Amino acid sequence: MLRKPSSITNPYYSGIAVAILAANLAWSVAVAVEPASPRGEDQPNQAIDPLSDRFADSEGEEVPNFQKHIVPLLGRLGCNGRACHGSFQGRGGFQLSLFGYDFKADHEAMLDEDTGRVDLEDVDESMILAKPTDADLHEGGKRYDKDSWQHHVLKRWVEAGAPFDQKEVQSLTKLEIQPAEIQFTNQSDHVKLRAIAHWQDGSAEDVTELCRFSSNDDSIADIDQNGRVQSGTSGDTHVVVYYDNAVVAVPIIRPVGPPAEHQPEYTHPVDRLVQTKLNKLGIVSAGRCTDAEFIRRASLDITGILPAADTVRTFLADKSSDKREKLLQKLLNSPGYAAWWATRFSDWTGNSEEQLNNVLPVRNAASRLWYEWLRVRLAANVPYDKIVEGIVTAKSREQGESYADYCKSMTEACKPGNENKFAERDGMPLYWTRVNFRQPEDRAIGFAYTFLGIRVECAQCHKHPFDQWSKNDFEEFAKLFSPVRFNQNQVTPDAKAERKEILAQITEGKDLKSNGDIRRAIQQAARSGEVVPFGELLIAARGMTSAERRKLIARAKKAGRKQPAPRIPTGKILGEPDLVELDKDPRPALMQWLRSPENPYFAKAVVNRVWSNYFGAGLVDPTDDMNLANPPANAALLDHLASELIQHEFDLKWLHHTIVTSETYQRSTDTNETNINDRTNLSRHLPRRLPAEVVHDAVLLATGSDTRAKELRGELEEMAIAEGQPRLRNQQNFVLEVFGQSIRETNCDCDRSDSPSLLQSIYLRNDSEMHKRLSDKNSWVMQACEALGVPGPVGAQDPRQLAAIRKTDAMRKQMIKRAQQFRRLPEARQENLRKQLEREFASAAKRVTRAGFAVPKFEELIADPEVWASLEPAEMAGNAEAVATVSDLIEEAYLRTLSRYPDENESKIALQFIEESEATAAGVQSLLWALVNTKEFIITH
Amino acid sequence: MRYHQTCDGLRRRDMLKAGMLTAGGLTLSNYLQMAQAGQLQTGRADRAIFIELPGGPSHLDNFDLKPDAPDEFRGSFKPIATNVPGIQISEHLPKLATCADKFAILRGVSHTLAAHRLGREYVNTGSKPIPALEYPSYGAVVSKELSSKSDIPSMVAVPRAGQGPGFLGIRYAPLETNSQPSFGDPFSVRGISLANGIGIDEVERRQDLLRKLDRRFAALEKSDQLLEGLDQFGEQAYSMITSPRSREAFDISKEPESFARQFGEDSFGQSCMLSLRLVEAGVRLVSVQLGGWDTHQDNFTKLKTNNLPKLDAGLSGLLVGLEQRGLLESTAVFVTGEFGRTPKINTRSAEGGRDHYPRCMFMLMAGGAVRGGQVIGESDDTAAGPRHEGISPDDVAASFYYNLGIDPTLEYDTTTGRPITLVRDGSIVKQLFA
Repeated sequence: MLRKPSSITNPYYSGIAVAILAANLAWSVAVAVEPASPRGEDQPNQAIDPLSDRFADSEGEEVPNFQKHIVPLLGRLGCNGRACHGSFQGRGGFQLSLFGYDFKADHEAMLDEDTGRVDLEDVDESMILAKPTDADLHEGGKRYDKDSWQHHVLKRWVEAGAPFDQKEVQSLTKLEIQPAEIQFTNQSDHVKLRAIAHWQDGSAEDVTELCRFSSNDDSIADIDQNGRVQSGTSGDTHVVVYYDNAVVAVPIIRPVGPPAEHQPEYTHPVDRLVQTKLNKLGIVSAGRCTDAEFIRRASLDITGILPAADTVRTFLADKSSDKREKLLQKLLNSPGYAAWWATRFSDWTGNSEEQLNNVLPVRNAASRLWYEWLRVRLAANVPYDKIVEGIVTAKSREQGESYADYCKSMTEACKPGNENKFAERDGMPLYWTRVNFRQPEDRAIGFAYTFLGIRVECAQCHKHPFDQWSKNDFEEFAKLFSPVRFNQNQVTPDAKAERKEILAQITEGKDLKSNGDIRRAIQQAARSGEVVPFGELLIAARGMTSAERRKLIARAKKAGRKQPAPRIPTGKILGEPDLVELDKDPRPALMQWLRSPENPYFAKAVVNRVWSNYFGAGLVDPTDDMNLANPPANAALLDHLASELIQHEFDLKWLHHTIVTSETYQRSTDTNETNINDRTNLSRHLPRRLPAEVVHDAVLLATGSDTRAKELRGELEEMAIAEGQPRLRNQQNFVLEVFGQSIRETNCDCDRSDSPSLLQSIYLRNDSEMHKRLSDKNSWVMQACEALGVPGPVGAQDPRQLAAIRKTDAMRKQMIKRAQQFRRLPEARQENLRKQLEREFASAAKRVTRAGFAVPKFEELIADPEVWASLEPAEMAGNAEAVATVSDLIEEAYLRTLSRYPDENESKIALQFIEESEATAAGVQSLLWALVNTKEFIITH
Repeated sequence: MRYHQTCDGLRRRDMLKAGMLTAGGLTLSNYLQMAQAGQLQTGRADRAIFIELPGGPSHLDNFDLKPDAPDEFRGSFKPIATNVPGIQISEHLPKLATCADKFAILRGVSHTLAAHRLGREYVNTGSKPIPALEYPSYGAVVSKELSSKSDIPSMVAVPRAGQGPGFLGIRYAPLETNSQPSFGDPFSVRGISLANGIGIDEVERRQDLLRKLDRRFAALEKSDQLLEGLDQFGEQAYSMITSPRSREAFDISKEPESFARQFGEDSFGQSCMLSLRLVEAGVRLVSVQLGGWDTHQDNFTKLKTNNLPKLDAGLSGLLVGLEQRGLLESTAVFVTGEFGRTPKINTRSAEGGRDHYPRCMFMLMAGGAVRGGQVIGESDDTAAGPRHEGISPDDVAASFYYNLGIDPTLEYDTTTGRPITLVRDGSIVKQLFA
């Protein structure tokens, strides 16, 4: 990584943080050292005084410690930042590990003679002493004063021989911050933090002046480089303190106002914990949402399916007091629940056809199988840890299954419609086979993302800036994944012969050389229904191939050494002290750790993601970025739900039920003075745009005829929420793409987007698909027109039909003209021509009738040609019975789009609009168009 | 609160603080002072084309060659002369070499963010990213500051935007085409032409009905970005659907073949031509992307066979085309990647590659009041850093805004009432306009 020095004269050096008040652009460098505050009384250990006291003089006995003092001091001075020596190319020929904590490398870099940073012979010539005290010499400017305590610390360390011993690295048991939380009341309030490091050996030290500080929202609380917190506007946030590998977030709160006089009392644990926080903040929450809002919200959130008009009607008419509870039970037990949540779990587990390319010999099957495997388990409410176990410890073959049987079963399962056969299998090995999940490092990142809700990728190159993870932690963790291997052409040794046999049958004995040829032959065979060979997950448990092992033994023999004991590779579970030996499949151990009640992430990650589905944001947000510097908006609530989930044996429906039965979930969108700015403390419902799949389906359901909608709701097969519009390789459904469906590729929950855009508005307003849905023969508009006994909308017919209609209409006009001419004739001539005209009419009438339109009687036409003013479909021409009124249909339109009745004013506007429309059909069509284009349609209520 | 944290570091906020130590300090009203002192004329451009080269193009192999540097830096490309005496660029940019008088090259541009996402955010906004808020893209600012016709989007991103509208809010988000035009084919953004059977009268009646019925959340609209954005997009969609102007502007097949050919026949070239048609029709800012610059491996083959020929044809076609149409004077053009690449060639692949390197990079400016045919700034012997005072992305952003007649020291209030200076740390690069 180290690069040779090159002359660098970039003036944009930036280093240690200096507080800035962005508001007025005034900035100040805070005073370097402030007297330490009085000590807390309940301290277990007497903390030793800060370095600034102990090193105030240049002379003294104490030698600073490399880990505890030198590295943090360099961090505090800004030396190991990205812009300076923490850069991957180093700076001025000197490179430090970014954010420290790679002590060995840092020590070596400092003592490397080429860098000249430490000169044991001529101490004052050491660049770490000479450069940072001289602005002219040091591109990074002056970092500290000569004869300051910082100078003394660094100098005395060099004088002592710049010692460091890797074996003496201690673990920091706790970084204690005083005060542990802060409540401000006025804008002028401020508090100075004090940080005490408690070490493994029981010692404690005041390290405030060695910490780095930051604020998560400086408009609420600003913090300077010395740990002085300044109050800002009302609200709550955290300031974060960094030292060694510790990252500690200190909650800061400034209430909006005094606690409300009438604080609601709740029994529901979610509500109690939310209310506790709201009381602290002085926020009064919104009241309960209406029944109409509730049924729409709960249906869309739990199942992703817009409720049918009749369902809404029945619910609103229901007078029983437990109707909400009953509805929730019904929704949680409906097929929509499993379908929608299998889609969400597919997001989080990374079910991407793109990444599953060529994993199976049958194309576009893997993603379907993956989805169905999840769906079946969610429908049966299999405990979350059991589902995860099926993924994490997955094997390709079932217990006792032969390779041939495995291939037979998989070939069968890959046929469209047979996905349930795959769901019957215990394991879901596809998770391990993805193209972007084959390297141990990628797996470490992806595994942590999916099951822990954390981002460890930073630690791949350096100490995680916002969490405890060091580069070493990452590397040890990644090693755990190395024994799991997958290649679509590889099988376990015992199955090689069987595979050959199956392959021989397919190729009919031909010897195909290239993998490409083999793949094509297999795909061809799969298409014609033959049993084809499948690849298998392999566990290279020793972490060493047998060839590698043979080589090692041969080398030992040659050198006359004794045959070496096989060295068993090891790895480490994240945050765990014990080594895991990789002489067997490490995945059961990983699984055991995941589901252990002590696991700090597993339960929280799923709670947080489920929560975010119901509230638009996780308690930790972003949902996949739990880290020490990003604490939950309500930690007590997250802790409670996570530990209860474990208590309830990972019962997912219990979790959903607990969330949706809370008053917190049922709040209205109403604002008041105290909650108007609240977006994190759950004091009101925050509208959010519906997810892509839900929008896609809601449009189909709202615009489709009752028959069509019933079909969609019943089978779910075409519904996007049920992966009915699967994303094939290189080919995504336009609507789903525009509305931000997850691409499931980058180990980020941000792969899904719920932002609105111009293109979305254009789609809903004017896309040809929308026009079709508002007018074709399966549309509700068509159904409504039939019910009204009026002709259907233009566009219900195909172009050829339209041409035929035009022709027929021309005939009608011609007949009217002839009838008018006839009427103008003197009676005598009428007498003569009557027969001829009647013949003409009969001929025309036959053709018009054949085209499906009604024809008046000849006498009627002669009496009043205007009687045939327009073409009317035969069965409805005047004699079709209207079975509904326009008002009925307006009501129906509201219920099937917005899940509520129109109010009086809305009814009036709609009625007037339809009456003024040239054709009733066009009026109804435009009304439905308007309703699906309201904001109300596309957001949660 | 959403954090935008990245591995390499720093939360956005640390960088804000770090930025305060930059040389030169604050330049609060450098624009106004210079304008008052008569040192500057107001910018002449009233529209812009922003070409982003995501991935980070290697400065040493295209606009900042070092033929005299040692082998491990120099690379295999040779410099060629341009139509401006004294200015040399890469041999793989022959078309641009014939129109070097139309653009200015900024060398030794320098910053500190070596991660793609942060770097892109920086060069797409002119402000170092911070965690507490997201800065708006150039397009969002231009949309806000320069009024535009209602029936044409004020900003179009072909195919997608590198940066959102940030704290300015969703209403200033661009229209993303989601696809790129291809040579000779008609191009349209799905949904902007009227379907069969629906007349303009009915569209207008419908819109009127919608306005009357869409009242449920009226009370919340002012305080909710989502609702406000939905409203804004709805109105804009309506205007675009009812007028032919957008449709025609998107349809590149309306251009004569000879004109279309000078942009190159790949999708980047045709996107450049589309951007020309769009600014001609009144779009205020069009962003175009050419990716594939993240050449950690096989740097030279990739550049030679793919990226440079495309950039050469597309950009030269655009500059010449703008001039032919008389639009160069009114269109500010800005070309940039998120960083340069390491001067020293790595050995990870047979022919080597170059890694992320923000300390030294290039940018290009053209159009409006920019004087083409000049090189501004200079890098050191191995293009490892600026030789003298470097130019920052903030400076270039300030200059870009200046060229568009927008005061870069403009102050905006965020939704929480926090005042933010548009380009806080940048000073206008005067030489660009001299």
